[in-house]
Amino acid sequence: MQVPDDRRYSTDHEWARLADGKVQVGITDYAQDALGDVVYVDLPAVGARVELGGVLGEVESTKSVSEIYAPVAGEVVAVNAALADSPELLNTDPYGAGWISEIVPTDVGALDALLDAAHYTALISE
Amino acid sequence: MAPSESAPTSTDARHGPAPIEEPETRHSPLEEAHRTLGAKLVPFGGWLMPLAYGTGTLAEHMACRTEAVAFDVSHLGTVRVQGQSSTDILQRALSNDLRKVAPGRAQYTQLLDDADGSVVDDIIVWWLDDDTFDVMPNASNTTRVRDAIGGDDTTASRAVIAVQGPEARLRLASVAPDAAAVARFRVTRFSWNGFDCVAAGTGYTGEDGVECAVPTEAAREFWQAVLDAGVTPAGLGARDTLRLEAGLPLHGHELGPGITPLQAGLGWVVGWEKAEFRGRDALERERASGPRRRLRGLVAEGRQPPRDGASVLAGTSSIGTVTSGNFSPVLSRGIAMAFLDTDHEVADGQELTIDVRGRHLAAHVVALPFIPVGKARAASGGAS
Repeated sequence: MQVPDDRRYSTDHEWARLADGKVQVGITDYAQDALGDVVYVDLPAVGARVELGGVLGEVESTKSVSEIYAPVAGEVVAVNAALADSPELLNTDPYGAGWISEIVPTDVGALDALLDAAHYTALISE
Repeated sequence: MAPSESAPTSTDARHGPAPIEEPETRHSPLEEAHRTLGAKLVPFGGWLMPLAYGTGTLAEHMACRTEAVAFDVSHLGTVRVQGQSSTDILQRALSNDLRKVAPGRAQYTQLLDDADGSVVDDIIVWWLDDDTFDVMPNASNTTRVRDAIGGDDTTASRAVIAVQGPEARLRLASVAPDAAAVARFRVTRFSWNGFDCVAAGTGYTGEDGVECAVPTEAAREFWQAVLDAGVTPAGLGARDTLRLEAGLPLHGHELGPGITPLQAGLGWVVGWEKAEFRGRDALERERASGPRRRLRGLVAEGRQPPRDGASVLAGTSSIGTVTSGNFSPVLSRGIAMAFLDTDHEVADGQELTIDVRGRHLAAHVVALPFIPVGKARAASGGAS
């Protein structure tokens, strides 16, 4: 399982990466592997305000439906429109082209409360 | 991320969450081969079976529609019924009429509840020769079926490998030519490496194919030979999306307690010419009054899969419930089977709404199956 060390992780298997004051959010390699083939992603609305741990969207695979939780509180400023027609990007490139949304966080320091790559690796190795 | 709903695929639907290593979990003779191939194994009907292999459900699905795949379906039960009275026993217990077929043929049939005519199990019968039948129930219903018909549970003595797809016979021919030559809904004995095996031209995908029952001792070698012939291994995930596209019912969803064959559109499985069979009186009453609901197909406007249990709305009134729903890899849309109340006139093509966890999906009604299968598929030029 890939766990890049340029970002932070939630215990619910979302990742969060800070760049230019925005937090890009997606699901981890471990999460996509557990889901199986993703066939539909329900994205949040641009402009929506989300709480920490609030529902950001839903990911549906051929076998299950899972909620995506916001790893930081803030305002959704962008969503990955490519997922509407190509939800498989979550499987093929979960840390890159399969990103889900961008959030301007209420508090940039909130990322510090998330797991670093080493701790997340330990979590999924349990 | 966390599951908000356990989706109603064939992998988890009927049996609830079960720890992977319950003491009574049964194991396929091919389990080690599946692990070597990187399969995800899941509990299903009391067995631990492959959900998908490395390439995933969608790739396995498309391999079955365009080339050939192999499923390990050893979890299906086999009850061997033998002896002079066996034909009479099956004729009285099961709904379909064996007089429509003959030795050397397979027949789809059902065990009905005598009180209300609902489907206790759906079954394939392989009629091997005059007085020998292999009756194949769903994994979790094997005991119930055996209680009704007697016979010997021979499930543990064999593996069943289903080779399915437009190229299935071609590729199987290099492994077991006699098995590959068995015609649709025919049954034949064949020998492989000195082992006595059985092949039937049956399946659960909407594609042409052959199911092979091979003694446990030979199972792993046979499976490997099939894969070496260019056949892709496929798991329960693909088996479920394939059968859904083909409009085939799954017990626990489109069939089960309270659901009769007439409601499910399977009147052809009822042997009305027979003097008696379990559930006949109840079915006659329903035939006279007309079923109160009927199974229909729904195609969503977008990709989102409708799911088991979702309400189907005409305007604002609920007229039915989804029994199985998923994403159709061939149509690239959500599809579902649903029971719709016959009180409401519903025509093919009619626009309806599916309530998926509070969100309304636009859908229209179609005749099943969702894609051409069997003869219609061959006539339209096949998969490619």
